[in-house]
Amino acid sequence: MKLSKNLQTALILASIALTTFVGIIAKYWILNG
Amino acid sequence: MSSVIDSHGHAHDGHGHGHDEHGHHGPYGGLMRWVTTTNHKDIGTLYLWFSFMMFMTGGAMAMAIRLELFQPGIQFFNPDLFNQFTTMHGLIMVFGAIMPAFVGFANWQIPMMIGAPDMAFARLNNWSFWLLPFAASLLVLSFFMPGGAPGVGWTLYSPLTVQMGIGMDLTIFAVHLLGMSSILGSINIITTILNLRAPGMTLMRMPLFVWTWLITAYLLVAAMPVLAGAVTMTLTDRHFGTTFFNAAGGGDPVLYQHIFWFFGHPEVYIIALPAFGVVSQVIPAFSRKPLFGYASMVYATSAIAILSFIVWAHHMYTVGMPVTGQLFFMYATTLIAVPTGVKVFNWVATMWKGSLTFETPMLFAIGFLFLFTMGGFTGLVLSLVPIDIQLHDTYYVVAHFHYVMVAGALFSAFAGVYFWLPKWTGRMYDETLGKWHFWLTMIFFNMIFFVQHFLGLAGMPRRIPDYPLMFETWNKISSIGAFGFGLTQLLFLYIVLKCIRHGEKAPQKPWEGADSLEWTHLPTPAPYHTFETQPILK
Repeated sequence: MKLSKNLQTALILASIALTTFVGIIAKYWILNG
Repeated sequence: MSSVIDSHGHAHDGHGHGHDEHGHHGPYGGLMRWVTTTNHKDIGTLYLWFSFMMFMTGGAMAMAIRLELFQPGIQFFNPDLFNQFTTMHGLIMVFGAIMPAFVGFANWQIPMMIGAPDMAFARLNNWSFWLLPFAASLLVLSFFMPGGAPGVGWTLYSPLTVQMGIGMDLTIFAVHLLGMSSILGSINIITTILNLRAPGMTLMRMPLFVWTWLITAYLLVAAMPVLAGAVTMTLTDRHFGTTFFNAAGGGDPVLYQHIFWFFGHPEVYIIALPAFGVVSQVIPAFSRKPLFGYASMVYATSAIAILSFIVWAHHMYTVGMPVTGQLFFMYATTLIAVPTGVKVFNWVATMWKGSLTFETPMLFAIGFLFLFTMGGFTGLVLSLVPIDIQLHDTYYVVAHFHYVMVAGALFSAFAGVYFWLPKWTGRMYDETLGKWHFWLTMIFFNMIFFVQHFLGLAGMPRRIPDYPLMFETWNKISSIGAFGFGLTQLLFLYIVLKCIRHGEKAPQKPWEGADSLEWTHLPTPAPYHTFETQPILK
C-alpha cells in the first residue's frame, strides 16, 4: 500500500508523540525510575 | 515578498485568481456550518471565538482573585475556592485561551501565507477544534463536583493531586483532551507547511509567522505527550495503586515536578513563539521595511526552541538539587537571552529609519516589545539561583510570567486581530476605539502587574487569599487595575462586533507595508476558498 506524502508525515509525527507518551510512563514504571 | 511572486499574469488587484468564480459552494448555513466545517477559515474563526470565550471565563476568575485580594482578610471566598480559582484561571488561560488563539491565527493564515488551498487534513482539523469545548466543559464542570475543582495550582503538583476529589479526574481528562487536540493540530500544521507550500515558496521565503508556527508545532509534538504522561501517572496513582509520585510507595513527588516542567518550559515558548511570529509580520508592515535579519530570526527561533528543553529545572531550584545541577540550569537559562536578544534587536532594527505609522496593530506590537522585554529581564533575574531562592513562589514570579504571557502573548494576539481583521471580515475596525483599547490595556496591565514586583520583593507569597497589612496598598492598586483591564476587554469585543457588522469597507491592502501572499494575491475579504490554483513564486 502506497501512503500519500501527507499521511507519511503525519504517521511519523504521531509515532513520535505516541512513543514519547508511552516511553515516559514506561521509563518510570517498568524501569522503576 | 511580493517582489518574488509571479501572479500568472493576473494583476495584484485583489482578483488574482478569482477563486470564488469557479462555481464552488460557499459555507452551509446555520449551526451545521460550524459543526461540520472543514474549511480552515471557518475553523480559524471557531478557534478565535472559543479562545475569546475562555479568555472571558478565565478573566472572570482573575477578577474574583483580585476581588478577594483587594484588602487583607477573607472577604468573599473561602481559601479552598480561592485556590480553585487560581488553578482554573491558569489552566483555562494557558490551554483554553492563549493556545487556541494562536491556533486560530495559524488556521486562518498559514494556508493563505504559503499558497495552500486548505490545511493538509481538513477533517482532522475539525476534530482538533471540537475536542476543545468538551475539554473546557470538563474544566468548568469540575467546580460542581463534590469537593469542587482541584485547588492544586495549574502545575497540578503531586502529592496534592492525589488528595483532591473527583474534580481532579475531570481536570486530568480535560488535559488529555486538550493535549490530543494540540498534537493533532500540530501534526496538521507541520504537514501543511512541509507538503503544501506553493511552488517557489521555499522554507527560507516563508513569512516568519509560518516559521514560528512550524517550530512551535514540533515543540508541541515533543512536549504535550510528556504532560499527558505526567497526568496519566497522576491518574494511576489516584485510582490504580501505583506510586509514581508517592514517597510512601517508593515514588517521588519531585519526579512529577521534573516531568511537568520538562513539558512546562517548552510550553512557555509554545505560547511565545507564535506571538513572535505575529509581531514579526506587524512591525515590518508598519515600518514599511522588510524584516531585519530574517535568517537570524529563523535561527534564533530554532535556538530558543532547542534550549527550551534543557532549562526546565530553573522552575524548581528550591527542591534541593545539587549545586552543579543548579549551575547547569542557571547558565542554560541565561543562554536563552542570546537568541531572544537577537529577536528584540531585529525588531528594533526593522523600525530603525522606517517610515513608521502607529495604527492599533503597531501600537500593540510595540507594547509587546517593551513589556515582553521587561518580562524577559525579570526572567533573567529569576534564572539566577541565589535570587530565585529568595523570590521563589512570590508575587515577583507572578508579575514576571504575566509580563511574558499577557504582555507577550495577549498583546501580540490583539496586534494580530487588528492586523488581519480587514482581511478576515472585509471591513475596517474603528481606529480611534482601537487606540483607546490599546492605551487602556497598557495602563491597566502595568497597574496590575508592575506593582506585583514590589509585593514579591517584599515577600508576599503567591496563591494566598489573605495577607499581612503591609501589602495592602499595592494589592489595592493591582486590584483596581485588574477591574479596569477586565472592563477594557469588553471594549475589544465591541470593537470587533462593530467592525463585523458596521465597519467601513476595507481596501484590498489596508496596510501599505504588508507583503505576504494573503495581502498581495487574495482579495479582501478573503473568499471562502482560496488558492485552489497554486500561485507560482519566482
